[in-house]
Amino acid sequence: MEAEALKFFIACVTAAGFGIAVAAFGCGIAQGLGLKAAVEGIARNPESSGKVTVTLLIGLAMIESLCIYALVIALILIYAHPQAEAISKLFGK
Amino acid sequence: MAADLDKTEIQQRILTFVTWANWLLFAGASVAGLLIATPEMVIGIVCGGLIVTVNFHLLSRTLKKSLAPPCIQSHNIILAKYYLRFTVSGVIIFILIAGHFVHPLGLFIGLSVVVASIMMATVREITKLLFFKEAM
Repeated sequence: MEAEALKFFIACVTAAGFGIAVAAFGCGIAQGLGLKAAVEGIARNPESSGKVTVTLLIGLAMIESLCIYALVIALILIYAHPQAEAISKLFGK
Repeated sequence: MAADLDKTEIQQRILTFVTWANWLLFAGASVAGLLIATPEMVIGIVCGGLIVTVNFHLLSRTLKKSLAPPCIQSHNIILAKYYLRFTVSGVIIFILIAGHFVHPLGLFIGLSVVVASIMMATVREITKLLFFKEAM
């Protein structure tokens, strides 16, 4: 029983680690692509910097919030798992 | 040319709407939380809302300083500011969750303020465009 409980916590930490890794990977690529396109657009037409910046700001805010969500879920899995107490009790027996 | 002007106007309108809607949604969610939720949930909503709203404004300032000519800031300063902002947000969220100061659901609701306001702005503009086209 103890081994099963321990496995549960190991799975939680592994899931948190992989979750934030995948999120950071995806958000990094997305932000990079967005920024690349914006810089290229501004380089071609410097007068459009205002327009591009507004669109980029909204896009980056959306992408960044996805990464923050993943961080929150990862931290919940590690530090504030809803079933942690029940599993700990099980582990104590 | 006219289409370009129209697009600029729409983008500026979305940004203004999002900027105001952030604070309004944050205030609304906090008041609603105070009325119907537990104190941990309220702290979660307030902290999450403040984190993303302040983050959004800082991101806006950084982008304007880094991409809008004529006075463009140094790349190093921009990178340092970006990482500092992200690290501070991460540390605050870590302390809040690891110390069990907030309810995770409340924090999640608070962190969704910016996304919700961007969605609202998009729906508003789409509705306007649809009605405008129909009127034409």
